[in-house]
Amino acid sequence: MAMLEVNNLKKVYTTRFGGTRVQALSNVSFSVERGEYVAIMGESGSGKTTLLNILASLDKPTSGEVLLNGRSIVSLKEAEISAFRRDNLGFVFQDFNLLDTFSIKDNIFLPLVLSGKSYPEMAKRLAPIAKKLGIEEILEKYPYEVSGGQKQRTAVARALITEPQLVLADEPTGALDSRASDSLLRLFGQINEEGQTILMVTHSTKAASHAKRVLFIKDGEVFHQIYRGGQTAEAMYQKISDALTMMATGGERDA
Amino acid sequence: MRRGFYFKLALSNIRKNAQTYVPYLLTGIASVMMYYIICSLSKNEDFMNMKGGAQMNWILQTGTVVVGFFAFIFLFYTNSFLIKRRKKELGLYNILGMEKRHIFKVLTYETLMIAAAAITLGIVGGLLFSKLVFLGMLRILSLQATFGFPVSLPSVRNTAILFAVIYTCTLLSNLRQIHLSKPVELLRGGRVGEREPKARFLVTILGLLSLGGGYWIAVTTENPMTMIMLFFVAVILVMIGTYCLFTSGSIAVLKGLRKKKTYYYKTQHFISVSGMMYRMKQNAVGLANICILSTAVLVMISSTVSLFIGIEDNVERRYPRDIMLNAYEKNNNDWDAVEATIDRELAKLGRSKSNEFHYDYLSMGARIKENEASLDLDQDDTLDDVWNLYFITPDSLKELTGDTVSLGENEVILYTGNGRYAPDTLKLLSREFQVREKREEVLPSDGDGGGIFKSLFVVISDRETMDSLYEEQQASGTEYTSEIRICHGVDIDGTSEEKLQAGENVSKALKDQGFSGYTDIREQNRINYLSLYGGLFFLGIFLGTLFLLATVLIIYYKQVSEGYEDKERFEIMQKVGLSRREVKRTIHSQILTVFFLPLLTAGIHIAFAFPAVKRILLAIGLANQTLLVLCTLGSFLVFAVFYIGIYSLTARVYDRIVRS
Repeated sequence: MAMLEVNNLKKVYTTRFGGTRVQALSNVSFSVERGEYVAIMGESGSGKTTLLNILASLDKPTSGEVLLNGRSIVSLKEAEISAFRRDNLGFVFQDFNLLDTFSIKDNIFLPLVLSGKSYPEMAKRLAPIAKKLGIEEILEKYPYEVSGGQKQRTAVARALITEPQLVLADEPTGALDSRASDSLLRLFGQINEEGQTILMVTHSTKAASHAKRVLFIKDGEVFHQIYRGGQTAEAMYQKISDALTMMATGGERDA
Repeated sequence: MRRGFYFKLALSNIRKNAQTYVPYLLTGIASVMMYYIICSLSKNEDFMNMKGGAQMNWILQTGTVVVGFFAFIFLFYTNSFLIKRRKKELGLYNILGMEKRHIFKVLTYETLMIAAAAITLGIVGGLLFSKLVFLGMLRILSLQATFGFPVSLPSVRNTAILFAVIYTCTLLSNLRQIHLSKPVELLRGGRVGEREPKARFLVTILGLLSLGGGYWIAVTTENPMTMIMLFFVAVILVMIGTYCLFTSGSIAVLKGLRKKKTYYYKTQHFISVSGMMYRMKQNAVGLANICILSTAVLVMISSTVSLFIGIEDNVERRYPRDIMLNAYEKNNNDWDAVEATIDRELAKLGRSKSNEFHYDYLSMGARIKENEASLDLDQDDTLDDVWNLYFITPDSLKELTGDTVSLGENEVILYTGNGRYAPDTLKLLSREFQVREKREEVLPSDGDGGGIFKSLFVVISDRETMDSLYEEQQASGTEYTSEIRICHGVDIDGTSEEKLQAGENVSKALKDQGFSGYTDIREQNRINYLSLYGGLFFLGIFLGTLFLLATVLIIYYKQVSEGYEDKERFEIMQKVGLSRREVKRTIHSQILTVFFLPLLTAGIHIAFAFPAVKRILLAIGLANQTLLVLCTLGSFLVFAVFYIGIYSLTARVYDRIVRS
């Protein structure tokens, strides 16, 4: 059984007075297997952020369903959502979303503290993750004292420390320079190798080329997908570029 | 065209920032209004010529200076808050190609508009309200007004000039800030100072010491005169302590909590401890301001209200009869002639007398250690051990209270009044008196000012004992000797006006006939008290209102800025898996702590200030302590209710910002 199943997802935004209706997602269906590394690509306005918000249970779809391990997250009650999110999902955002009031260490601990874990257990979990992400040196520092790459690795550590079913990443390289981006993408590849399921939303071809599978969204629908198979990242990069060119030029399905 | 553009831009800026500019404008209007009112009252000539007008005028002039000074600080503070919020917007203009001089132009137009609106509306409001305040004041002083209340042009002019200067200063300070900063810094303007605060232990210790010192002075200084001198020292120490502890002490406590891992890493503590640390850094000074203003409001209102309510009490105690005569016995006044004169003057006016008393007494200042009284006072005495001893005979006691007592030689009855005398004997000069009985009430004597010194009424066996004490005192070679005095008092029937008239006539007639001594008319003194304490009462209420207004505004702006800062944190925490309700709960509990810390601290300050205020008021004649307790508690309760009201009103603004 697929770990994540998205069936006929539709989302329509209505302006406050019910006037204009904007269709962000018209009919999205796909599934993600355990241990997969999937990138979702699309231009600005293609609906990828809406999709991610629904997967993150931050937003509710107009119709359709999302199943995580066979359990519908769309029908979760308001009171259950936060705990569900905390226990099953890890988030990495473009703008890091670290709290300035906490040290790097406390930022990473935040979800665990919210789940009521004891300090020794938190410390035990942190040690290997911090080592793997290379942030042991900066644990006592504050977000404004470290670089963008370090901030993003902190965010990754925060996402991983709860041992989530699924890591959702929203443009994780968007605010990083190319060196920090490369290192973060290698990191994602590495944690995926270790068995972590990752779903990443991006419009960076380079970021997507590290994934094992790329889904293309256009006008609120899944338009196309590419499997990496045994190819190198460079070959994948080329295939993605071709697909994007095709989408931009001749690929108007409804035309 | 260009000119019009900057003007329009300025206008639309104000409109867009209405959430923060409307309160700023209202503050301006209110400050102008209050300044005009108090200024015009102090310049009102009819008022100055009334009975007791000079004291009143002095109080009002002092008030004018205080209000002006306060308005300055107040508007400056609000302005600095506003410009901090707007730095990003101004930086954006700069980056979009406006030169700094154009920004200056826009800011100048904005200030001009705000200043013009505040000054005009404030003065108009002042004109309307001053009549009302004036009538209110006459009521406080129980006077009738027969004259009108003209527009005070000098006050209009002074008000306009003062506030024009204040607004110019705010503009200059804004321009300076913009001038000194780079566009990038402007863009970041709202977000500087996110560094983790340092706990400066030295400052914390300094704060603890000065707060402790201030409290110590207030609690341990027994003598009212010393208290008056030290009160301001105590106030300044407490202020320093409050600022230090709010800024550094709070951080030190929070850091201590954070070090305790088992405490810190718990859901509810984790977020609030770190959040509080951040908040305290941003808000410590503002909160300390609220705390000190609140304390000032409370002390001012509770003491002036008790003084005002206590006037009657005070007058009755100091002047037990409508007319009080007091003279040395050795002056050999012809008391029969005095009585005849009083009767004659009263008869002329158709008044009649009652409750007449006439008694002799000997008073002397003495330093009492244990049970030993010494007459050798010197300037260096701490005054804490100094008592006023009043020796009266059983005959005098009968005149005063109607009690008949009979005492053996060296046997005394003590009326301890406002002091506490523990021993059962009293040694003075060559005598050792045995205390037969102690009574706590204050005798209605000629009144000794009833406060600065502790007073002890000693009822001795007979006149011979008094004479021998007098002679022994004269012979003792002490520097301050006293005389045996005679006190004579009568009550008169009639209205206050009639009593005053009769008193003045009697006083004049006695002077003409060569009476050697003092004449006190109770009604005259009542008027003096009314104009002094009534003036203080008015000023207390007036400044209290102004300070309260300041508190409201600071709280409002704090809520707004907290709102903007929390918005982002609110979102992040939700994304990481804290439910909306939990986030709201933790943030609200932090905000509650932040806002009620000043109220709580003000309460503690008041509690420690109470003994000091009590003694000072005692020195100026308020002996009724229950009244002061009630007034203090009452003002604290009213203030707390008001504070909670403001809090819940402004909390809505906060919620709206965070939710949007």
